[in-house]
Amino acid sequence: MQHDMNTSSLNRLPMLFYIAWRNIWRNPVRSLLTVSALAGGLVMVILYAALLEGMTRQMVQYATEVTTAHIQIHRQAFIDDRDMYATIPWAWLDEIEQEFPQLRFAPRLYAAALASAADTSAGAMIRAVDPQRELQVTTMLGHVRQGKPALDVADVTDYGLPRYNVVVGAQMARNMKLAPGSELVLVSQAADGSIGNALYRVASVLKPIEPNFDRMGILMSIEAYQQLMYLENGYHELAIRLDDMTRLDPVQQAVREKLGQLQQHQPLDELGGPVVVRNWRELMPAVADMLELSKSMLLIIGFIVVGLASLGMLNTMLMAVHERTHEFGILLAIGMKRGWLLFMVVLESLFLALVSALSGSVIGSLLALYFEEHGIDFSESMPDGYDWAGIVFEPVMKGYLLPQDVLYASLLMIGVAMIASLLPAWRTVRLKPAEVMR
Amino acid sequence: MALLTLEGIGKRYRQGEIEVQALQGVDLQVAEGDFAALVGPSGSGKTTLLNIIGGLDAPTQGSVRLNGIELTAMGEAELSDFRLFQLGFIFQAYNLVPVLSALENVELVMVLQGQHRHERRERAEHYLELVGLKAVMHRRPSALSGGQQQRVAVARALAAGPRLVLADEPTANLDSENAFALLDIMHRLSHEEKTTFIFSTHDTRVMERAERIITLRDGRLASDERHERHSA
Repeated sequence: MQHDMNTSSLNRLPMLFYIAWRNIWRNPVRSLLTVSALAGGLVMVILYAALLEGMTRQMVQYATEVTTAHIQIHRQAFIDDRDMYATIPWAWLDEIEQEFPQLRFAPRLYAAALASAADTSAGAMIRAVDPQRELQVTTMLGHVRQGKPALDVADVTDYGLPRYNVVVGAQMARNMKLAPGSELVLVSQAADGSIGNALYRVASVLKPIEPNFDRMGILMSIEAYQQLMYLENGYHELAIRLDDMTRLDPVQQAVREKLGQLQQHQPLDELGGPVVVRNWRELMPAVADMLELSKSMLLIIGFIVVGLASLGMLNTMLMAVHERTHEFGILLAIGMKRGWLLFMVVLESLFLALVSALSGSVIGSLLALYFEEHGIDFSESMPDGYDWAGIVFEPVMKGYLLPQDVLYASLLMIGVAMIASLLPAWRTVRLKPAEVMR
Repeated sequence: MALLTLEGIGKRYRQGEIEVQALQGVDLQVAEGDFAALVGPSGSGKTTLLNIIGGLDAPTQGSVRLNGIELTAMGEAELSDFRLFQLGFIFQAYNLVPVLSALENVELVMVLQGQHRHERRERAEHYLELVGLKAVMHRRPSALSGGQQQRVAVARALAAGPRLVLADEPTANLDSENAFALLDIMHRLSHEEKTTFIFSTHDTRVMERAERIITLRDGRLASDERHERHSA
């Protein structure tokens, strides 16, 4: 009987798949142990990725939502020297708002001052905000520990002057023994060179939000600031909030282009320098670096955990190949090509890896979703949460499951497991049928 | 023309510090349709000669030609194809793939040949019927007796349509009843299918059934005799 020796290899594939699948269940206990080790490793990696993503998101959320926002605009001289006169014209705010109706904007002003209370005094950093706009851009005014976050006029002094409410940072309140209702005097050098001073009422004390602000920050309204500092022609900082963070880069570029057009039509003073548009990563490089580092850590941890689990695969396949050398010899003798034999052994490893990936992904995802919903509660040991990279975290660590993390972790596990299968597969290929069948 | 021609076959290999001359100057011709037993005491070189004929081992001297094609000049891949399309193998034990049923085991060589499903299924069932195992063809080897497993191996060897079937001690692990049954099946199929059989053995039961007895002693061809086959 003559046969076509060039018949398609595709006819052989189903049988090779079939034999490989059956082979992995020849020793079900050993295969299940291998699957357990690989799946367990995958579960660990998925959980770690979910918790890290949860922390990262909380970190980004705190970094952007509490005070910084997604994008900030300054003059270069303000960035370099905190130059009080390096302001952005108020007229530009309207122009930008009209151009980008989907964005939210919060102008801010800053000044250094000396703060005095009943029997204490300390250096202070004034941050003036428009409460209505600020509430749309950050959650700063929502982190109140005591009192109400009011920045309006508290009352009128005996001289008929308005006395404004201010909000103070947590540590400053502690250091200066301030509480809601306390009186506070601020003295500063105004924009016109005169000494500006005024009496304020502490409306509220904030929770810790940012180390610098906590230590010396005082929030007041822009109106109160202008009366103290005589600086009315512009603002120092414009914080911008995006609805969709994924569009950060194009929005930043669009804002930059718009400001370039405005500068062409309305040139600014040279001393203040150009207008600079920076996103939160550029504003907080340490946080951005840490996020990048966390991705690398995830990869390293993933390799270690999955690599260790894959040693189980290596052991299983080495044992399986060792036990079946005679059988492989027979297959080679009856005409199976070495390449097909190698393919079959690699397929067995692939099936083990796929079963592990499937079970590990399902279990890991379910656990990650549980932690996304309920989190890990550390409030007993850390009631005020924990501080990492200068950012205060909630005491409940919540996970966040990204489907692509499950996919990447599974692919990593399958990849490492397949690498681990190469040694046993290679041993199979080197078998000499006449020797192994003796 | 002879189907198989061996000329001056020699095989030498090292076993630790000792050099073993397994075969020396073996000349042999096997005609199409021969039902030949390769006999001799242990260590006489029977298995080595079968391995050389089957392309599983290379001689250190001499030439092997099957149907005029020189085996010693073939590369690894060519030898694989040669075994796949021209030869059938029956071994002493552990012949079958344990995770496949009897039917799938018989189909296996045809799968490797690339035959289409319908054709190979038909042939596999036909040969299992010829060896009397159609009723148990869906059983795995572990659910078959030793004799049944060897009959499946015979069906596998023949279903792929080889020119030559090589059997290395095929009855070594069988009781007399099963051994005779297996030999009768092999002999009948050899005649029906015009397939050449060479089997190594030191089992006198096998020798009684052989039409030709080739005797090896100390790696040399000691005798080559033709016999009338005795019926069981």
